[in-house]
Amino acid sequence: MDFEFSPEQQELRAAVRQLAARQCVPERLLAWESEPAGVDEATRRQIADLGWLAVGVPEAAGGTGGSLVDLACLVGECARALVPRPIVGAIRAAALLADLEPRHPLLPQLATGERILAVALDEESAREPRAYRSEVVSSADGAAVSGAKAYVPDAAEADLHLVAAREAGGISLVLVERRAPGVRLAPIKTFGGDRQAHVEYQRAPVTGRLGAPGAAAVPLAGAWRRQVALALAEMVGGMEAVLEMTVAYVKEREQFGQKIALFQAVRHQIADMGTACTAARHLAWQAITRVCSGTEEGTELASACAYVGQAFKRLCWTGHHLHGGAGFVVEHRMRFHSERAQSLCIRYAPEAPALAEVAAALLDG
Amino acid sequence: MNYDLSPRERAWRDEVRAFIREHVDEDLSRETREVGNEGRGPRALKFLQALRDRGWWGLAWPKEYGGLEKTAVEQWIFIDEIETAGAPMLPLTATSVAPTIMRIGTEEQKREWLPRISNAEIDFALGYSEPEAGTDLASLRTHAVLDGDEWVVNGQKMWNTMAHMATHNWLAVRTEPDAPKHKGISMMIVPMDAPGVSVQPIWVWPGLRTNALFLDNVRVPRSYLIGERGMGFYYAAMALNFERLSIGSIGMARRHFRALVAAVKERVVDGRALREDPWVRERLARLQVEIDAARMLGLETAVALDRGGVPAAESSMAKIYVSELTQRIADAGCEILGLNGQTHAQEATALAEGRMQWLYRIAPMLAFGGGTNEVQRDIIGFMGYGLPRK
Repeated sequence: MDFEFSPEQQELRAAVRQLAARQCVPERLLAWESEPAGVDEATRRQIADLGWLAVGVPEAAGGTGGSLVDLACLVGECARALVPRPIVGAIRAAALLADLEPRHPLLPQLATGERILAVALDEESAREPRAYRSEVVSSADGAAVSGAKAYVPDAAEADLHLVAAREAGGISLVLVERRAPGVRLAPIKTFGGDRQAHVEYQRAPVTGRLGAPGAAAVPLAGAWRRQVALALAEMVGGMEAVLEMTVAYVKEREQFGQKIALFQAVRHQIADMGTACTAARHLAWQAITRVCSGTEEGTELASACAYVGQAFKRLCWTGHHLHGGAGFVVEHRMRFHSERAQSLCIRYAPEAPALAEVAAALLDG
Repeated sequence: MNYDLSPRERAWRDEVRAFIREHVDEDLSRETREVGNEGRGPRALKFLQALRDRGWWGLAWPKEYGGLEKTAVEQWIFIDEIETAGAPMLPLTATSVAPTIMRIGTEEQKREWLPRISNAEIDFALGYSEPEAGTDLASLRTHAVLDGDEWVVNGQKMWNTMAHMATHNWLAVRTEPDAPKHKGISMMIVPMDAPGVSVQPIWVWPGLRTNALFLDNVRVPRSYLIGERGMGFYYAAMALNFERLSIGSIGMARRHFRALVAAVKERVVDGRALREDPWVRERLARLQVEIDAARMLGLETAVALDRGGVPAAESSMAKIYVSELTQRIADAGCEILGLNGQTHAQEATALAEGRMQWLYRIAPMLAFGGGTNEVQRDIIGFMGYGLPRK
């Protein structure tokens, strides 16, 4: 029990924090919002050159072979500084592919940013793989995917889509070229800074596979848990940023002739933000480290999801409240964090299934 | 980044658990649920004796005083296990008074008092609060005046819990009337059998007895003022430091939550298993998540202590969170058990050991006692986030 990052992790965090803070200044945050890809090419290139995309890729596949904890340090700092979501999406996609197939030939290209992979899992009416309707059908011409995927991050920018679909009585993971015939994209406007699209696959040819047909459900579930763990790190990074900026603001803002931090009503809201942030940080890192080492004892991940997602959103409400109008202008970082809080929570840490898992462990044993 | 108990911590936890298995039985649990004995019935005293025989009164004491000098995380494990088992906690004499004397007492005072504490010859009640000095402790008025080689003490203390069973009182008294209010207080030991000491019972809502203490020209030897004159307020604050781990412990609340869950698993209402009720499931799951969060806050305090810090903000976070969560657990427990949730512990039909209504009654005290939650939130703001005081 030490609650300390290793010297290497501290170094990684400090390096990312320093660089990200320089990059992600308010005018660029706004500019990125109007970029179709969510980030300009030069920034994408620059960050790829720093090796961030390679952290989740094994050394044998051209990466730096970081652990889940290392990855969590990286994306946590990205979230704190508001690094564009498509960058984090690329880090995540490389890590997901590496989890599923550590020697996949695509990994070196993802590690350098040469190619972009989008992960197409959810459907408009299905979050659980068992409810997917998309399917892989084989014919004399080979295998092809048909169906509709929804809210696919970075789908338009990607060179390849990793698609989960029904096959052989189970779920398969297949690769489809984004520009292949039968792939139709409809970008959608969402908040949270990522670039999502609905994707329609009409007999889109399969150009690669992860694992045997119909055998992907279990490995995908495991890889998804690691993606969820990364989201916890992102949310905690965002919480720390919101808390810090709110503390700084109440120390500086004056009303009624004094700093508003002197009002007990304000001070007590800071105290509650700090308490929530501290509890969230430890629940998150406990879950991340246990998922990383495969030593979960119970429902650490579900419990962290249920707590951290809600805590982050509440923290943002309070942050907005204490910033008043100053935090309400579009260029202010507050609202970027608030948007990400909600979009991360919706995708990775929805409260209801997390609570259901905790309840089942409590009551159905 | 490591959230697992080390092999040494795990071995210690197992040792504590084995001790609990050996010494906590249903009779002891029933006794602690009885009204009026304050956890000091004959079985509890036997349990405390067993803890003492094991050398565990000195868990946190330095080795030079015969203590085990356990780390804060190990102390946290001990508190967590004892509370989770519903066993009596170590007396404040061992956890608060003794370590204070070790820190601040003269050599002569240590020689006089520490052996008598170690062999349980003496036991203290803590006399801090007064009718007009609660949260604002530094405004206390009980005073002592030197008359030759004796202090003459006059005044009144409130919430002097255990005074009716203690041999001595650990008293905060004003000895420097002309000094600023924080700098005029001293710590003094007052034997309960000294002439002029009287105790009046005060019964509080959860069925616990505490006391008012009256001091009428009580004479105590000059050497019974412990440490330096005028430093009492700071000594009391220091003693609070020793209590940081227990004050934010989730152990008691978790124990009652477990009893609630066990009851829910058995209960059938309107022909349906209560545990299948979606509202019950959601409410219990939320509380479990919050218990997990509270545990992390307690551990944060312990880890910070082991790093050599003074985790004032962290322990305040744990204290606030646990006290307010206990209220939510108690409320949910009463409601989930329905009509049974109002039942007293002595009724044979009471579910969850009849503790939900008791928890409901004691929970408010956790929030205003031990430093009100408002003061704790101030501490977090000042100490944790550097908010200005003026």
